[in-house]
Amino acid sequence: MEDPAYGVCTCRGKKRRGLLESLIFGLIGADTHSLEAETTSALPGLLQGVDPRLKLVSLLALIVAAVSTQRLTVLAALFLLAVGLAVVSQIRLARLVRQVWIGVFLFSGVIVLPALVLVPGETIAHLPLFGWPITLQGLRSASFVIGRAETAATLSLLLVLTTPWPHVLKALRSLGMPAAVVAILGMTHRYIFVLMQSALQMAEARQSRLMAPLDGPARRRLMLTMIGMLLSRTLTLGTEVHAAMIARGYRGEVRLLDEFRTRPSDWAFLLATLAVAATILGGRL
Amino acid sequence: MSGSAFDFRDVVYAYRSQRALDGVSFSIGLGERVALLGANGSGKSTLLRMMDALVFAVGGTALALGGPLTEAAFAEEATNFAFRQRVGLVFQNPDVQLFNPTVLDELAFGPLQLGWDTARVRRAIDAMLDRFGITHLRDRSPHRLSGGEKKRVAIASVLITEPDVLLLDEPTAALDPESRADLVAFLSHGLREGQTVITAIHDLDIIDHISDRSIVLDRGKVAADAPTLDVLHDIDLLRRTHLVFEHRHSHGIAAAALHGHLHAAPDGGATT
Ligand SMILES: Nc1ncnc2c1ncn2[C@@H]1O[C@H](COP(=O)(O)OP(=O)(O)OP(=O)(O)O)[C@@H](O)[C@H]1O
Ligand SMILES: [Mg+2]
Repeated sequence: MEDPAYGVCTCRGKKRRGLLESLIFGLIGADTHSLEAETTSALPGLLQGVDPRLKLVSLLALIVAAVSTQRLTVLAALFLLAVGLAVVSQIRLARLVRQVWIGVFLFSGVIVLPALVLVPGETIAHLPLFGWPITLQGLRSASFVIGRAETAATLSLLLVLTTPWPHVLKALRSLGMPAAVVAILGMTHRYIFVLMQSALQMAEARQSRLMAPLDGPARRRLMLTMIGMLLSRTLTLGTEVHAAMIARGYRGEVRLLDEFRTRPSDWAFLLATLAVAATILGGRL
Repeated sequence: MSGSAFDFRDVVYAYRSQRALDGVSFSIGLGERVALLGANGSGKSTLLRMMDALVFAVGGTALALGGPLTEAAFAEEATNFAFRQRVGLVFQNPDVQLFNPTVLDELAFGPLQLGWDTARVRRAIDAMLDRFGITHLRDRSPHRLSGGEKKRVAIASVLITEPDVLLLDEPTAALDPESRADLVAFLSHGLREGQTVITAIHDLDIIDHISDRSIVLDRGKVAADAPTLDVLHDIDLLRRTHLVFEHRHSHGIAAAALHGHLHAAPDGGATT
């Protein structure tokens, strides 16, 4: 049973999460996510086997195609292609639903909702409750926005889930991304871990010392101090990590044990995706 | 003893207003094995970081391997690179030291930064995994290991490049008795002949195995610099610098660790 003041309540019914609790939940989520990503990138799937550099270019080409296509059928086909790639890479669809599709749908849905009724055109239905007319053109433009966002997000997640993070960094670097940018990306990733660990430790420390549930103002005060502490701790630790990297000879360049090896099948994958993208872009499909 | 590893004269270091090192002087020859003793906050970690050119003196002069330990000198790429090849530091907190996705990558990090070819790196990794009994952890994520496992990986990740000068910040903290004994055995006769080893440590009962000389720090100053056995027998000094405390209840085993009526303060900071 969780401490009620901690706000982590697995019981049904009253379920209010404070700011810090949400933050910690998010962090636990991120931690689980990264653990899962470590696992999925090691599975023997199709994308996992592709040279990260070619994979990056391929997926990027598909994203560009998805963003620029003018036909819903083409967009749908690209989306299905992404789903197919997930399947052959052993990424469970439930995970895509949970991690991308729902979130992206809600987010872009809110943005495009007005388009449904604001874009003038042929009325095909009426919005329940309000009775406002939904136009075919409005529905089309809303579908484009959501479809593009979903497809692009799915393809990006596929890259992250099938490639160990340092390999993504190294691939970016070998494709000409400046060392400084790659170093920042690398540090960001590490910061997240450091922040997460601090947050979890502080939550545990707090929980273990809490004798009775706190009242509202006391809780809020405690949360604010904890967030402040967390930030300053993260900064210190981040600096420390950087020092530890320097101490072992780091000079801003990502070096890995595994040299990327490009096999003929990698080129085939690249050519296939580039062909798809070129057909869409060149044929203005 | 040939040449000197470190030459410090009246070295001062401060974190903003807090003086962490306050006029520290000593010199350590190549091949010496030195223990760095002192209560919590006495400046051991700060000194080690300075010896590893991660922080620089704000007063006095500090030399390492004959060259100046200054920010200007280390802005020079070649100086920095040559230094990193020869000096390695195991941090007190393994969490900051382990930043790679797997133990394998962690061990590979140093050698790869120093430009070793991959075949050599792989051979060295296998040898290290074996020596530290962590072969089974090879593909695990370092930040998900236990405290003692982390510590072993951190030590292995620095030792792998066989630095001429090895700086260890509380290497036995968090280790269980058996791992601790293994490490002590390794530090006392597993190292390369002529390797300089400087260890900040609180375990008085093992320092005579891993050092011949001890430097005792007390609030940023050198309180003593003498052969380890002499330091261990100077009860007044140990008491004054909070390295031992008189025990108030009897623990037969712990007391036996040192001098009968005294026992080592595990964190150096206990009071009477
Ligand atoms: N990042 C920092 N910012 C400000 N003060 C610091 C910082 N790190 C250390 N200090 C202070 O500098 C002094 C020396 O700290 P140092 O970490 O070198 O001690 P130590 O001998 O390693 O202690 P311990 O045995 O606890 O590891 C302490 O008073 C400490 O409070
Ligand atoms: Mg310390």
